[in-house]
Amino acid sequence: MPLSTNRALWSIMTIDQVTAPAESSDYVGARVRKHNGAAYLTGRVTYSADISLPNMAHAAIVRSPLAHARIVKIDTTVALAQPSVLAVLSGADAAKTSGPIPYLLDPAGLGGHSADVRCLAVDKVTYVGQPVVAVVASTPADAAAAARLIEVDYDELTPIFDAEAAMAEDAPLIYPDWHTNVMFAGTFGDDTFEETARSAPHLLHGELRIQRTTPSPMETRTYLADWNERAQQLNWYGTTQNPHPQRWVLATALGLTERQIHVVAPSAGGAFGLKMHGHPEEVLVSVLSQIVQRPVKWVESRSECLLAGGREQVHRFAVAYGDDGRVHALRDQMIADHGAVAAGAGWGMSFVAANSFPSGYDIQQCRVEYSIVVTNKPPSVGMKPFGKDAPVLVLERVMDLVAEATGLDPGVVRARNWIREDQFPYTTSAGLVIDSGNYHGLLTQALDRFGYQRRRDEQQVARSEGRCIGIGLGFEMLPEIADIPGSFVTAYDSATVRVDPSGQVTALTGVTSPGGGNDTAIAQIVADRIGVAPSDVAVVQGDTALCPYGTGNLSSRGIVVGGGAAALAADDVALKLRTIAAAMLEADLARVELRDGFARITTDHERAIPLAAVAHGAYTLGYILAAEMDAPLESTRVYKMPNVQQVPDAKGRLSTYTTFSNALHVCVVDVDTETGRVDILDHFCVHDCGTMINPLFVEGQLQGGVVMGIGAALSEEIRYDDRGAIRTDAFKRYLMPRAIDIPHLRIGHQVTRSPFSSLGAKGAGESGFAAAQASIVNAVNDALRPFKVGLNVLPLTPPRVLAAIREATRTAGAVG
Amino acid sequence: MTAQQAKLTIILNGAHRSAEVDPRMLLAEALRESFGVTGVKTGCATGDCGACTIAVDGSIVKSCLLLAAGADGADITTIEGLAQAGELSEIQQAFWSEYAFQCGFCLSGMLFAARDLISRNVAAGDEDIRKAISGNLCRCTGYENIVSAIRKVIEAQPS
Repeated sequence: MPLSTNRALWSIMTIDQVTAPAESSDYVGARVRKHNGAAYLTGRVTYSADISLPNMAHAAIVRSPLAHARIVKIDTTVALAQPSVLAVLSGADAAKTSGPIPYLLDPAGLGGHSADVRCLAVDKVTYVGQPVVAVVASTPADAAAAARLIEVDYDELTPIFDAEAAMAEDAPLIYPDWHTNVMFAGTFGDDTFEETARSAPHLLHGELRIQRTTPSPMETRTYLADWNERAQQLNWYGTTQNPHPQRWVLATALGLTERQIHVVAPSAGGAFGLKMHGHPEEVLVSVLSQIVQRPVKWVESRSECLLAGGREQVHRFAVAYGDDGRVHALRDQMIADHGAVAAGAGWGMSFVAANSFPSGYDIQQCRVEYSIVVTNKPPSVGMKPFGKDAPVLVLERVMDLVAEATGLDPGVVRARNWIREDQFPYTTSAGLVIDSGNYHGLLTQALDRFGYQRRRDEQQVARSEGRCIGIGLGFEMLPEIADIPGSFVTAYDSATVRVDPSGQVTALTGVTSPGGGNDTAIAQIVADRIGVAPSDVAVVQGDTALCPYGTGNLSSRGIVVGGGAAALAADDVALKLRTIAAAMLEADLARVELRDGFARITTDHERAIPLAAVAHGAYTLGYILAAEMDAPLESTRVYKMPNVQQVPDAKGRLSTYTTFSNALHVCVVDVDTETGRVDILDHFCVHDCGTMINPLFVEGQLQGGVVMGIGAALSEEIRYDDRGAIRTDAFKRYLMPRAIDIPHLRIGHQVTRSPFSSLGAKGAGESGFAAAQASIVNAVNDALRPFKVGLNVLPLTPPRVLAAIREATRTAGAVG
Repeated sequence: MTAQQAKLTIILNGAHRSAEVDPRMLLAEALRESFGVTGVKTGCATGDCGACTIAVDGSIVKSCLLLAAGADGADITTIEGLAQAGELSEIQQAFWSEYAFQCGFCLSGMLFAARDLISRNVAAGDEDIRKAISGNLCRCTGYENIVSAIRKVIEAQPS
């Protein structure tokens, strides 16, 4: 291959003058399978619990058996005398070397209240399951056995388990210096409901009680800390969705600098919000490792994992509407039971719930009054879709109640209230600026493909035969890719793309994958630009020493900002490769493309150089081939969503979300009036998350979300006994859907590109849950219409359904 | 407190292996910690989630429900032993092409449940498939693609 010595070419052509190649679509948009699937299928993927370090010790945690109590005395003598035990740590001990765990977002900074959260309780416990004492031993079994030998004396205080009771004047205070149990309260929207309601033709009121559920990824939380005293360095491995922010958490709580800490997040076995930062055990294992001077590992048990929960809220709503089904005004009073305080994301979920009213409906007179209340339950944790499910559920019930009252079809009522396509960008009553959407398009496709009218006809026939068939619609609008001022929840992220001298391509990202396909999708984005196959791209995530700074995964951000950054970095590297190749081929840069592992002339594919040769040239022949261009073949870029509005508008509102995915679900259920059992006969959804990098992965997110939503609608519920101890401490009692409970799920797509994100994508990571839950709740209520009962306490378990039917039958009998 | 170690000898993925194990250990734990086959996953340790499902003497079992000591002399296959001479099996291939796993934590157990069904029911329909994997929980996929993958293997079998 002749080498160009034409210096003139390089003096006239600077990088700025070159237009990046048009987006290739060979892999982007294709249903590419997981690029690293073989490693999964042969058991070679490393999860946190799979890591063993030499001389590793194991931690077990003694948790509070009481919901609210003072710690009087801790006796560790017997445990410490066990031969395998290396250390026993109390909260008072831990406080000597570690401080409070910093909040993901401190409610006190926003006008609410917060309290010190420690890795082990100091003085007082506020929920059953709170870490009180930690034991380190040589094996997990020895640590667990020694933990049982620790005696803690408590002085019991009055606990409170009900958020509304906790708001009463004379309620016992969990954090007395607050002088209230309300952690955070506020309003969204103008206080105009009463005024609008006076002139509206009709009014209706309703209530919804949403139960506490739990994320429960199949992999529980696991942390392994390895403190190196000599180097004063902490290597920390664990189940974290946000490795870089996690490093800040550890540094802050431990009094170390961030550069003393290396955080590694191995492959994740699901997260769903649970593995955002702020859990006490993250810091605890680090303190323990510093004490015993050995690596210390803690693997959460399933019963510990089931302590985590969230979503528990009561909503009381009032709706003013017209005969045409148009909602004139809506007021929702929301009380969220947060449980005890925590440093994690949980409370923010309730805030987001209030902020996301009134979903995708054009209701400017929407008033939300919310209170986030502490009780003596375990703290709320982050859970997808991070609170956005609550307004969806309320609004979808409202639309059905209005339909029922007006005699209109539920689809018609929705169509009359949705934000129309020509109204975008649309500012909601709460201040969110919704980018784009075509909600009416969802309805057209859904009703047509579902065979809606035929299903309604069949329902009539079934009813006449005494069968209880119901049809339910559920529409979700999910604000995504958040940027919350003062937190590490950001609408930007970074990526490095690197081609080494032998031509191998690596992408290192600040985003992480909780287990879905964002790593493969990023490989697709990079592969198209460098002209290789996705399987030729190594994607490195979750390592603070290797990857550029990033927020990791939350708020469906992986592709929009992680993929966006990787696209920019890959474009930079591709331009360098093409520049070198152009010199090698003595061709005009504009005529050089990267394809199939070669740099080649667009009009003459025979004139081609293997990527490896181009890469080698870039590193070794730079002065000859492209003196103006610097090796290495590497670029680190940031992609930042342009439409975050963090300066309050005239009404004091922020717009902290940047993309808005949406979907319409429709399902059919069969309610057995003898047993109360609900069978889902069919479930169909049309989904719009903008441009799809890989429809296979979008559908995967959706299918998982739908099934989680079905669980929340019908069976999943965290329950406690009357002293606040969890009763649903195993999968025998906490009922997640199994394959046999689920029908075949059908999916349709609609693509309305985001006008703001570079890839046109809107995020799919939280899709499915909210609309599935709402559609099933609506369908069950639709099925029970002949009984004139409304079910508004979730989940709709057989006993609840049966009790409602019996009550209705009894009342009807009494009247008749 | 430290328990006396016991010697456990098994055939693991075709090879004779032995290791010292704590007699309190579950088979799942012993396989992971003493034999290094971390492809076996523990999701609950109460027999509810199925992530630890493996084959013992040709039958599938939830390895968190057995004490390691009870498996002495057993012939055990884990996910590490499913591919033959570096070639993924048909079931593994189908799980990959159908996107039947996301985070992969339930994958090992699902593969064994699927393999067991396919070996005993060549005419399994979707209901049979769903029943066969109902001892295994998955939080990512909604089961849809797992059912498709198993159906694909069954349909490809000579009848």
